[in-house]
Amino acid sequence: MRLVLRRALPAIATLVAVAFLTMMLTSLLPGDPAQTIAGPEADPEDVAAVREDLRLDEPLPTRFVGWVGDAVTGDLGRSYRTNQPVAEAITERMPVTIQIGAMAIGIALLVAIPLGTLSAYKAGGLADRAVTGVSFGLLAVPSFMMAILLILVFAETLGWAPATGWTRLTADPVENFRSAILPALALAVGELAVYTRLLRADMVTTLQQDSITMARAKGLSPARILFRHALRPSSFSLLTVVGLQIGAILSGAVLVETLFAVPGLGRLLVDSILQRDLVMVQGIAVVIAASFVVVNVVVDLLYTLLDPRIRHGHATA
Amino acid sequence: MKPEDWSLRVRRGRVRLVAFGVAAALVAAACGGSDDSGDDEAASVEEGVEGATGAIRDVSEQGEPVTGGSITFGLEAETTSWLPGEGQFANSGVSVAYALYDPLIKRSADGELKPYLAESMEPNEDLTEWTLTLRPDIQFHDGTPLDAAALMSNFEQLSADGTQTASAFDGVTMEVVDDLSVRYTLPAPDSAFPAVLTLSPGWPYSPTAAAANGADAGANPVGTGPFVFESWERDNRLVLRRNDNYWQEGLPYLDEIVFRPIPDEDTRMSSLTSGDIDGMMSLRQSNIIELREADGIDNYEQIGNSTGSNIFNTAEPPLDDIRVRRALAMATDQEQVIEVLGGGGVVPPATQIFGPDDPYYSEQVAEDWVDYDPEAAQEELQAYVDDPERSDGKAPGDPVAVRYDCLPDASLVEVAQLFQALWSTIGVEVELRQVEQATHINEAIQGDYQVKCWRLGIDGDPAAVMDAYYLEGSPQNFTRFTDPQVTENIEAMKATTDVAERQRLAAEAMSIVNENVVQTYSGGTLGLVAVQDHVKNIDGWTYPDGSEGGTATQGTVVWANVWTTEG
Repeated sequence: MRLVLRRALPAIATLVAVAFLTMMLTSLLPGDPAQTIAGPEADPEDVAAVREDLRLDEPLPTRFVGWVGDAVTGDLGRSYRTNQPVAEAITERMPVTIQIGAMAIGIALLVAIPLGTLSAYKAGGLADRAVTGVSFGLLAVPSFMMAILLILVFAETLGWAPATGWTRLTADPVENFRSAILPALALAVGELAVYTRLLRADMVTTLQQDSITMARAKGLSPARILFRHALRPSSFSLLTVVGLQIGAILSGAVLVETLFAVPGLGRLLVDSILQRDLVMVQGIAVVIAASFVVVNVVVDLLYTLLDPRIRHGHATA
Repeated sequence: MKPEDWSLRVRRGRVRLVAFGVAAALVAAACGGSDDSGDDEAASVEEGVEGATGAIRDVSEQGEPVTGGSITFGLEAETTSWLPGEGQFANSGVSVAYALYDPLIKRSADGELKPYLAESMEPNEDLTEWTLTLRPDIQFHDGTPLDAAALMSNFEQLSADGTQTASAFDGVTMEVVDDLSVRYTLPAPDSAFPAVLTLSPGWPYSPTAAAANGADAGANPVGTGPFVFESWERDNRLVLRRNDNYWQEGLPYLDEIVFRPIPDEDTRMSSLTSGDIDGMMSLRQSNIIELREADGIDNYEQIGNSTGSNIFNTAEPPLDDIRVRRALAMATDQEQVIEVLGGGGVVPPATQIFGPDDPYYSEQVAEDWVDYDPEAAQEELQAYVDDPERSDGKAPGDPVAVRYDCLPDASLVEVAQLFQALWSTIGVEVELRQVEQATHINEAIQGDYQVKCWRLGIDGDPAAVMDAYYLEGSPQNFTRFTDPQVTENIEAMKATTDVAERQRLAAEAMSIVNENVVQTYSGGTLGLVAVQDHVKNIDGWTYPDGSEGGTATQGTVVWANVWTTEG
């Protein structure tokens, strides 16, 4: 709890900084948001009306203070582009991206942990070389290419999952899974390659430690040694990267959500940037920043589970 | 005067006015496709011919209408809002709007501007006043009557500054004549005014519902159309159900339509061929050609006025000198450009902002357009290069340099590189610059560019289109080109309904524009609606009086008349 509290103030400061920087950076983007929203056929009076309506004629600090004032009450404004409340748009989209991202990470971990472990256990052997080769191969495949390949095989040829579209979990769990699986797989492939390589590297080191030699001397089975004694101390890098990869998942989601026509946060963010929907960009940026902060706090907490010494202030290097 | 009297006749397949709210379409495509112009034969509609040049209509036996059933249709983009005045309706949005709303005026198969939701529309003698009379006993989906008061309420909102439709009603006032009639008073004669009411400024929506829904009205559309709004998950699906109280008896045939925005062209096509969706629209030439050979798919293609192009900023050195512009145009191999854009062998080169099937297309203008002639281009450029008074301020003999802006789309990047190669052969240094769409449009409006890839040509009234492109002070006069004779001709076109005279005026104006080489052309754009063959009658809509309607213009469909045999 103290850890959580200790994190709260810097987290809030981070969010305010992100909000301000986002507003500043978006205001520096070329192109007049009012003109973009009014359209090319709009005359100057129409553009001026849009600018005034959106308060774009006010100084940036004034706009920022106004935005923060509204944001603390939960009002993130309304989209310039669609007039939809930003908070509502994010609430609609967030679960989609979270589900796809969580499934991608889950799939990646499910595959990477046994493969990385096997690779480390058989370091230098045929299995290790095969896993390494496949990992590097998968790393080289961009998610959009994997997405197209998956659509071709699983949607067009086999018909196991729809090529595009999204069904909400609450509407139909089975259809929801079918609509989520291909986007999740497209994102998972790159991730699992990274996870496999990381886990292998750490576990190779772990397996050379005295504690493992002791376990072997005791006659414990390889599976017990690997998954009970070696996996946990080998998971720090993996856990850290999983936390950091939230950003990569989101950037991958931008492409994958567009390809699979999934209404996620990444697609909304890109559309909003391209259409100069600054208030939507602002809201999404803050939510993403908040997600990062939360995920990293969770990761820190998980460290303490992996290694109790951290909880007692005896962190390992 | 009866509706037919003022109608401007246009031949089959061409018409799609639209300037309101199609910002995205205008430029997004900036050069995207490729397409038509050229000779009449090339652009004619052919039936079921694979690999044919021009648009084809390759469809299965239609049979008799069947009532019931649901279809899912893939759109190329989501629409920002479904409320006229608030939403930016590109082709995708227009297609959906034809299910939710009815246009007051609609273009016919013959290109006439005929009343649809309106019963009649009559001008006064000098074309400054237009009196529109509604059909009686029509209600919006929420039961609100469609009457003059509703139109007045819509007009007040649609004409307000800052709306997407404000420019359509610039200087226009409206008064209520009686319960079902209103009168539009224009600041100047305009024979093309009814064309404004074919699009979002002419799609009546329930003022009661709009007031009740307030800021959320765009997410809760209430029109008079054949389908009623059911639900909308943005970027995922819009569900519409049959309007059982529709004013056209027996219509619509379908019980439900689900629209799904699928922005990626390839996955949209995969969704169609794998059976996830029942139909889709597309403007991508390569996919349209590929779908011609797909089994069980009916293809409804159409070529309009839209053409890929380059626009020159005539206020910016060295493009302010006609010798440079002519040189660049003569150094442009249109066939190569079309090939790179994916329309090779399918769409003929364009020569003007009117396609060959448009009544305002001019053979003479086509013949006069500059030919690909690198040697002549070289000579023309050399005259500028050696000129001690050259406008770019460089010393005689120094090479000409231009900056070429285009969108970061793969095919457009490729075509930009082609222009760089073509123009460098005559000694022009071309700096390529990729800009995303919002910046691209803004720079064009502000005149902050030299050469930009663009998309020209709208299927609309020539006076309205030329007014936007070539009149001084128009926000869309991106080339900054104005000419007193062109202006005079545009004004004269607005003041007459005589089609032959308007054709002469348009051709003369187009000729002056082309003589000044303010833009170059690649080819037009094939538009496609492709459906599973159980979906019927995509292009067979009719007017309330039963007369023949039109085609599926650039991917848009009139849904009231569509049915499925898989009810």
